[in-house]
Parts: sequence; structure tokens; C-alpha cells
Amino acid sequence: MTRFLLRRILGAIPLVLGIATIVFFVLNLAPGDPVSFFTSPAVTPEVLEQMRRNLGLDQPVHVRYWRWMTSMLQGDFGVSFARNQPVREIIADILPNTLILSVAAMFLAFVGGVVVGVLQAIRQNRFVDSALSVIALFFYSMPSFWLALMLILIFSLGARNLWGWPIWFPASGMTSVDYPFMSPGAQLRDRVMHLVLPSFSLALVLAAGIARYTRGSMLEVIRQDYIRTARAKGLSERRVVLKHALRNALIPVITLFGLSLPFLFSGAVLIETVFAWPGMGRLVYGAITQRDYPVVMAGAFMFGVIVILGNLLADILYSFVDPRIRYD
Amino acid sequence: MISRGHALTATLALASSLTACGDAGTPGRAALENLPAFCQEVLPRVDAFLADFSTPSGERYGGTAVVGSIGEMPNGMNAFVSSTVTNNQHQTFVNLMPLVRVDENLQPQPWLAESWEFNEDGTEVTFHLRDDVYWHDGTPTSAYDVEFTYRRAIDPQTAFPNASFWNYYDQGPDGVQVLDSLTVRLRMEPHSEPLDPWRSTAIMPRHLLEDVPPSELARHPYGSRCPVGNGPFVFESHRTDESWSFVRNPAFPEALGGPPYLERYVYRIIPEQTTLLTELLTENIDFYVAPGPDQVPQIEADQQVDLHVFPYPGYDMVIWNTRRPQLSDARVRQAIAIGTNRQEIVDAIRSGFGEIANSGVPPFHWAYAPALADSLQYDPDRARELLDQAGWTDRDDDGIRENADGDPLEIAIKYNLGNQQREDIAQIMQAQLEPLGIRARPQVVEWATLLDQINTPDVRDFDAVVIGWRVEFRLDDHEMLHSSSADDPFGWPGIQDPDLDTLLDRLQLVTDREEATPLWREYQYRLLETQPVMYLYFIDRLAGVNRRLRGVELDIRGEWASIQDWWIPAEER
Amino acid sequence: MPPGVRPTDRPVLAVLVPGLPQLLRGRIASGGFALLLWIFFVVVVVVRWDRVSGAIAAGFDHQVALATLILGMALVWGWSLRDALRTEPEPRVGRSQWTLATRAFRKNRVAVLGLMAVTLFYLTALLTPFLAPFDPTQQGSLVAERMLPPSGEHLMGTDQFARDVLSRVLYGARVSLSIGFVAAGIAITIGTLLGAISGFVGGKVDDMIMRFVDMVISFPRLVLLITIIALFEPSIFLIITVLGLTQWPQSTRIVRGEVLSLREREFVQAGKALGYSAPRMILRHVIPNTLAPVIVAATLGIGDTIVLEAGLSFLGLGIQPPTPSWGTMVADGRADLLGGWWMSTFPGLAIVFVVLSFNLAGDGLRDALDPRLRSG
Repeated sequence: MTRFLLRRILGAIPLVLGIATIVFFVLNLAPGDPVSFFTSPAVTPEVLEQMRRNLGLDQPVHVRYWRWMTSMLQGDFGVSFARNQPVREIIADILPNTLILSVAAMFLAFVGGVVVGVLQAIRQNRFVDSALSVIALFFYSMPSFWLALMLILIFSLGARNLWGWPIWFPASGMTSVDYPFMSPGAQLRDRVMHLVLPSFSLALVLAAGIARYTRGSMLEVIRQDYIRTARAKGLSERRVVLKHALRNALIPVITLFGLSLPFLFSGAVLIETVFAWPGMGRLVYGAITQRDYPVVMAGAFMFGVIVILGNLLADILYSFVDPRIRYD
Repeated sequence: MISRGHALTATLALASSLTACGDAGTPGRAALENLPAFCQEVLPRVDAFLADFSTPSGERYGGTAVVGSIGEMPNGMNAFVSSTVTNNQHQTFVNLMPLVRVDENLQPQPWLAESWEFNEDGTEVTFHLRDDVYWHDGTPTSAYDVEFTYRRAIDPQTAFPNASFWNYYDQGPDGVQVLDSLTVRLRMEPHSEPLDPWRSTAIMPRHLLEDVPPSELARHPYGSRCPVGNGPFVFESHRTDESWSFVRNPAFPEALGGPPYLERYVYRIIPEQTTLLTELLTENIDFYVAPGPDQVPQIEADQQVDLHVFPYPGYDMVIWNTRRPQLSDARVRQAIAIGTNRQEIVDAIRSGFGEIANSGVPPFHWAYAPALADSLQYDPDRARELLDQAGWTDRDDDGIRENADGDPLEIAIKYNLGNQQREDIAQIMQAQLEPLGIRARPQVVEWATLLDQINTPDVRDFDAVVIGWRVEFRLDDHEMLHSSSADDPFGWPGIQDPDLDTLLDRLQLVTDREEATPLWREYQYRLLETQPVMYLYFIDRLAGVNRRLRGVELDIRGEWASIQDWWIPAEER
Repeated sequence: MPPGVRPTDRPVLAVLVPGLPQLLRGRIASGGFALLLWIFFVVVVVVRWDRVSGAIAAGFDHQVALATLILGMALVWGWSLRDALRTEPEPRVGRSQWTLATRAFRKNRVAVLGLMAVTLFYLTALLTPFLAPFDPTQQGSLVAERMLPPSGEHLMGTDQFARDVLSRVLYGARVSLSIGFVAAGIAITIGTLLGAISGFVGGKVDDMIMRFVDMVISFPRLVLLITIIALFEPSIFLIITVLGLTQWPQSTRIVRGEVLSLREREFVQAGKALGYSAPRMILRHVIPNTLAPVIVAATLGIGDTIVLEAGLSFLGLGIQPPTPSWGTMVADGRADLLGGWWMSTFPGLAIVFVVLSFNLAGDGLRDALDPRLRSG
């Protein structure tokens, strides 16, 4: 097991470095100059030149690449051009926010997706199957930002101002402004209330894929001999499905865990923008438009690392649930 | 093998991070140990200093106001890097203090400087500072801070974007002189608006930043992590891309209005307009900065919020590249100006919240010539005549005019990617100019690339470009319209007009407004004739404000100018 | 055959009203759809006769629309007639994989509906020059006709430039559908070729290609898209190409898996024994046998691409105006969701229905083509 993990991690290193290198050169070869955002008639060319020097942009590309690579390998991501803050510091602020949102969305998506998928599989080609797949795909087919705006208009604006529902959700942010003055219980509630709409928006999009996958996997399992045997033994259908089929059907679904990570990190940029959630997607998107190279590079690096860790985690889970798989 | 115990720990860690909060002096602060060493040292001093003051009593004192706006304040309260309007207002009105302020009529008023005087020939100014202003860590604000700010601002190593504001000041070693701890004298060449740089740039604390090398000032943790100002509000916390919060400064001098009514002020970053509107209408924010004109009906329909409309020091315009053959003739540019229905543009994209501009002198400014307002009325017939006179006629019956060489009258109008309003302007112009026989082609370019294309003197890869312009209260179009600037980055139009040159040169030297007013009028008339750019409209800024937030007065100085007077009735806190 | 309808009636009926004989025979799906299409075509011809008759002179768009109309009518008519003339029931012998798959697909009603909807959407897109009531880029009076709610004259209202939203939705269909189609096409082509090479050749080549696939897959696609599009000018070609170039890895994996299992099969071994070259083996024998999963991937990919374009539009990186695309329309209208819901809701619904149809059809295809998933 340890050897397997080590091998995987070592194998992942060139992958992450490769991604980072590609991004570095794409950014640096593109037109546009990071300091041009400071241009105004009040700014003389000399000031711009000095800014470039202060940012280290006066060096040729290969020198900058080498510098960036060596300092990154030492854990130093440099200083953001646009915010003038160490990138490490910014990411330390932002990454936990993304993790909270991703974990919540992933939890909702997997629970919802698996339930829907199983229901569909045991009623293949019947009304329930069709109806559920239409509903799931309906949300999947919506542009996510549009879905998010609709949720805001319904569950925040409409619920509070138009219909006076007893419960309505805040439309944006991670906490209320008076969060620091709340009791711990109220703080937790406040967090959860703010998490509901964004995590649902993200999860709805993800759940359709998981449901589809679960359904397929379930259908395959149900046709297998041991399920027939179980049925023949006279076990109740419920028991057959839940006890025997589901466990085996879920194994391939675990791989989705790793595959959905890139989406949660980047697809979230739209959701993060709509709900004003200070996450990685927004950070990196903003940095791209401002030519804030250090932040983009660090973001790309983090994405790579997290995706690889996610896949690794999926592999480990795999070995837990499927006794046939042994990593030696 | 990984034991199940690990998974459990991970869950617990997540749960605790959900509820983690700062336990520093102010509950709203982030935990000190996560901050840079500089902040760990400074912030406790701030808390200790503030702890000595009692909360002011009075029915208006108390409550939290929340402002929602679309963008983060990068570089925060660091006045040496500031470039956005919002940052600048927070520095000058909220967290720090400039030497002087202006009132709503743009007359300079004492602020950090209690008084000032000029010498006879206008080459020296002496500022007398107040003696009751303290940095939030308890150090008195002194003339040495002014000297420090000035020296750093003009130091090329600092790369302060607005360093050129002090171009007419003496930048040598004798340029600034501290006479005593509250008096400072500066030398300069006589100028029409000598105080303006001291309004727009806040004074920075010398005792905290003196040892920082100028080239590293920009990236000092002071700006975004732990600014220590001297203004009416004390920095509390900054959560990246999420919010800034400030608390009342109980030590703020009574003579300047005393401690503000609000106990706490929070600036929230919400990058989506529909979300912002929802938050305003669900009363999660009290103040929505710059709602879109299309959102006005919803704001007006709500009983709990008010719409505020106030002038903004900025306008939108279309720059012509007069180096291009199709735009070199002033008659063509005039024809486009009167062939474009600008009122329709204002109505369509700003719902009427804007005033037609005929020059860069805004209506709120003393140099504005009201008589000009009716010039360049929409007149497509006259536009056709002008085009005919200039030799552009439709020679091959394709609906587009050609010159004698058969070149069509085609203009690519560039705008930057993602700017809806400019995109709209380009599209409407395309539709409006088509019947005149002019083919205007909207063309989108990514912002950084666009700047490269229009600013690089030997490139100038554009016919026309839609651009927004923010004016300083000190008007000066030298960089854009003077013939000597034609090959500088901002010499976009490349216009060569001796009359404009003479006027631009004289205007910066005339210090007397009586004398300057006719010159400004002459200058504006000359702009009408030469049309180096097509001015579209001055922007009327909007704000949606919850009625529970009282005392909000909005004028040309911006959203935050009156923040000291904002208050919330006790029953609505 | 239901009683009362004699075999001799059917050709005549089929000539007059295609689809009706099948409908009468109880084949509701195929007959009904053919009839629906026929009515649709006839209505277009009758109502828009002025445009149809002047189509040849009116430019490429109109010519394409005319060709679509003629071809479509001929197809429906011909199918109905041939089907009606056939006296024998469908042959029951020789159940190939494809016949089995078709039968399985037909059982899945939702999927059949999805496929029909997709067909209709493409037809509408091609016929748009005949259908659209207004010019999609023509601005009306910005004072009097701006942001009008849906009415008799403007069925979907007007937008902030006083343009007819219905016409823009119709023209937007062409842009959005072709983006999906072309981008998915690029992705499938690259993916299939690389996957086949990777699986067939194996060894070092396989390793390298799969490492590369891993790299592209583990990188968030949207970030890659944003980076490239934000850095360069967002022309429609750039967007389509980039969308296509970032989507191929999934199909590479699928095809490689299929090829690995095919490689050991008899016909491939036989080909090798006969000394066929590797390119010939890949193109002529390996790829055709992996088509089924590729078709499914393509169908789903088209839908994903349309949604993704909308996401890009939200960030201002989508198709640029005045070309209408659904994504741009939803994104541009979103700030007015409260004041002018029609501006973004109709194009939004269009996206939902098209993508939904593609996904339903794709899911049905997958079920039908995969013998392990077929029910009963």
C-alpha cells in the first residue's frame, strides 16, 4: 500500500510540474502587460518601468521561469502583482472557503445522485426512471449561473419579500456581518444557512452525472448471477438491492469522486461569483484577467495537487470497498 | 493502511474550522497568529490605545452599516499604490486623512491641516497641522508624516502611480521642510490648483513605514493586512475577496465631527449585480454602490430603500485616431458627432441617468460653460452635408460612402472585453451611423491587449475606441490633446491644433478663476470644432440605500464623503 | 394491422399526408413525428411563401434553408411512401447488434422523444431565415420599443436594444447548435484517433498519450478555457476550437479501452497476419468497431459544450455581439432578471430543452448500444 502510494505521488510530480509549465508559458506569451492596469495619464513611463523592475518583469522569460520554478519548489509562490500580497497568504485565506463549499456540494451530490440512480435502476424504463432522469437532466442542462440566480430570486428575494416564507436564505457571502458576535451555536447555523444555496447549485449540476453513472452500474450488477441467486434464495427485493447489489454497484461510482474535483474547483467560478463566495475559482479568474501571473500559477499548481490527491483518495477508498483490489 | 480514526479527525477539523473565530481584542479581528509579524506587533497596540476611550453616548451612536459593492479593494489602505476610486475614498474619508478636503462645491477645506498659507508669488505653501489627530496606535500625527509621505510619493523607487500630481512641486532636497512638529513648508512652481494632490492622497504613518525600502512599500502588509490610519474609522479585519470591516475611532477630534455615529462599518464584495440587488432588497446590505440603471425600477418600487442620484467625476467618450485617413478631416468627425443620437444612447444604456457631454469639463465644475449644452444637436441631414463636403459620397451605390480613391468610410470601434456598456455604445453607434453611409464595426479586444494597441505610440492600432474617463477635480487634458503629447502613450487622438495647444498651456498657469473662466470657454468651443474625441455623456452615479441608514449625503466627492454622519435609529439596529 | 384500413389505401394516403397511414396503423411515434414534420413544412411554405419563393436570390442562409425544406419534405414523403408500400412485416431474421440496439432504443420513450426534439431543433435552426419574424440584429426605436414584455407582435418581447427576442433565439439556435456540433466533432475526431493509436500501438506511445490525457483531465477545463480565451480575442472560431481541443481526453480514454479489448479479437489478428499496415488496421477495422460509445460521447458532448459556452458568456468570454448565441443572451439579460425576465428566460429555456434532449437521446443510445444495460 505504502509503496503504491509513493509510486503514485512520485508519478504525479511531473504531471503537476507539466501543468504549471504550460500555464506559465501560455500566460507569458500572451499579449498584455501586468503593469498596464496602472496606466493613467498621471503615470509616467518611468514609473511603469520601475513597477516592472519591482515586480521582476524586466527579466527575460526563461530567467523568470527558472526563478519561479526554483522558488515554488521551495514553497514560495511569490507576491501577487495586483494585490501586492504574498500569494501564500492569499491562498491560505481562500482555500478553506473552497474546501467548505466543495465538501458540502460533493456530499449533497453523492447522496442525491446515488439515491436517484438506484431508484432509476430498479425501475428501468418505467415511469419513475424516465421522470427522474428528466428531472435530473433538467438541472444538469441549465447554465449553472442561471440556475444559481433563479435559486437566489426564489429562495432569498421571493421567499422573504414576496411570499413571506418562514425560512429564507441569504443570497451571498459566507457569514453574516455580525457573525463574530454570535454564540457558537448561532455561528454554526449562520454558516449552514449561507452554505445552502451555493452548495445546492453546485450539487445539482454534479448529481445528474452521478445518478447516471450509478444507474448504469446498478443495472449491470442487477443482471449478475449472484443477484439472481440471491433472488432465487427468496430474499426480499429490498434486501437484494440494498445489501447485495448496491454495495457492488457503488464501487465504480467512487472513481467519480476524483473526476468531479476539477469541476468543483473551476466550475465553481460561476457559482462563487453569483453567491459572492470568496473561493479559488474567482481568485484565479480575476488573476487571469489582471495578468496576475503569480496567483494564476499558484492556482494552477493547487488545482493539480488537489485533483491528484482526490484521485489518490478515490483509489484508497476503492481498495476499502472492493476486496479484490490490492495495491502491492 | 489508513485507520478510520483519521477520517474522524478530518471531519472534526472541518467542523471546528466552520466555527473558528478570532479571540483577539476586537471580536471581529482575525486570529493574530495568522497575520504577518508586523501586524502581530501593531494591532495589539491599536487595541490597547482604543481601550482607553469610552463609547460616545447619544441616541444616534451605534449600529453596523453594510455597504455592498462589486469589487475588492486591492492594496487596501496603502495610499502609495492606490488606484481605484473606491480605495481612494476609503483612504481619504474612512481610514486615513489627507491634509485638505473639498466641500461639495469643490472648495478646499481644512482637514488634517488646520490652515495653510501661500507666499506672495505662489511658490511656497505652509501647512499647519492639527495637534489632536492620533494614529490609531496612539502616536500623534505630525508634520514628519507629511514629509515622509511626500518624499516617498515622489521617489521613483516607490513607483507611486500618481507621482506626477506633484510634477510642479520642487522635488529636490529643499522641496519640503519641516518647520516644527506641526508645520511643514513645500516649494513649487505657481499653479492653478496647488492643493489638489493633498486632497487626493492621504498622509501615511512615518513611524510604521519609515524603515521599509521604497521599492517594497507597495507589498508591505500594512495595506491589506493591518492598516493603522488616523481617520474616523479604525481597521478591524479584511477577508480576501469577502469583506473589510472598520470600527469607530473614539479618538477622532471633536472639531472634525468627532467619533462617527456608526459603531461598525462593513464593506462587502459581491461581484454580481442581481445578487447585490437581492441583498439590498432583503436588507442584508444597507448601501448598494452603483446599481445598474436597469435596476432602478426595482429599487424605486421597494418601500424600504431609496434611490440616490448624484454626479460622478467621469464621462464616456469615443476617441478618434485622427492619423487614420478616414478620420483625419474634422468635418467627418463633426458629422459623426451630430449624426450620432447621443441622447438616445443615454436613454438606452443609462436609462437617462447621464448628461450629454460636449467637452471634458463636467457640469459640476466651475469652468463648465452651460451655453455649450445645446451644441452638437442630433442632425442627420447636416451630418450628410458635412460628409458630402468632405468628399465622402456613395460612389458605387452600396450604401457606404467612399472618398475620391474609392476607399470606403469604414471605422472599427474597439471596446474592451466584458464591458457591457461600452459594447452597447459601439452597437448603437453602428446602427445609427449605417443610414448616414458610415460603416461602423464594433470590435471587442481584451483589456490588457487593448491598452497595448492604443497606448503604444508607434502602433496605435485602432480607428476609434470607446473609453471611460475619470476626471480629477484639477482638469488637464494636456496628455491627450496637446500636440506635443501626440507620441506619448495617451496622445490617442494625435490631434495637431495650435489653438488647442496655446489654450492648454495657458490654462494650467492662470491661477485666478475669474481670468480662467473665459479661457476655459474658448477651449471648450475649440473642442467642438476640432472634435478630437466624441464626448458622449457625463455619468450620473446611482446608489440604493436602505432607509434605516440616515444621514447619507451623496455628491460629487463620492459615496463615502459623508460616512461620519451616517447613523441608524436605535430601534432599527 | 388494424381492421378497416385496406392495404391499397395506404400509398394514396401516404402521398397525400405522409405519416398518417403509419399513425392509423398504430405506430404513434414514427407516424406522428412524420406527420408533425410534414405539417411544419407545409405551414412554413404557406405562411412564408414570399420568403421561400425568393430564397434563391436572397443569399446563402436562405438557400440553405430552402435546400433543407425541399430535402426535408422529400425525405418525409419518401419514407412514408416506401414504408406504406412495404407489404411484408419487418424482417425478423438476422438480428444484428444494430437491429437489437434500434429495438432497445425504441422502447425508451423519453430517449425517442429526445431524439425527435433534437431533430426539430436542428431543422428550426436551418429554417430560421424563413421562420424569424424580424432581423435579429436590427435595432428598433430605443425609446419606444426597448425592453417590451412579450406581446402579440413580439412573442418573446424585445431586449435592451429593442431587438426581437424570438428572432434572436431562433438565430441563436444556429450559433449555439453549430458550436456544440463542431466542437464535439473536433473533440471526437482527436479523441478517437489518439485513443485508437494509444490502444493499438501500446507500449511507450500508449504511455505518453495516456500521461498527456491525465494531465489535461486533471486540469480544470474552465480555467484552461478562460486562460486561453481571455488572453486572446474571443472570436467564434477561437471559442469553438478551444472548446473542442479541451474536450477530447474523455473520448480518448473510452476508445482506448474499447481498442484494448478489440486488439486480441480474431479479425484484428487476421488483419495482422495478412500484413495490413497499422494505419489501415486502425482506420478501417479498429475505429469502426468502437463507434458505439463514441456516438454516445458525442451526443452528450454537444450538450455539455452548449452549457459551457453559456458559462463563458457569463464571464464575458462567449460569442461576441452582435452575433446572437443563447449563452450570450442569457448572460447579458441576467442583470435584468427582475425588470425584464423575458430577455434571459427564453434563451435560457432554449438551452435547457436542447441540452436536455441531447442528454436524453444520448442516455437512450448508451442503454441501447450497451448489451449489458439493455432491459429484458
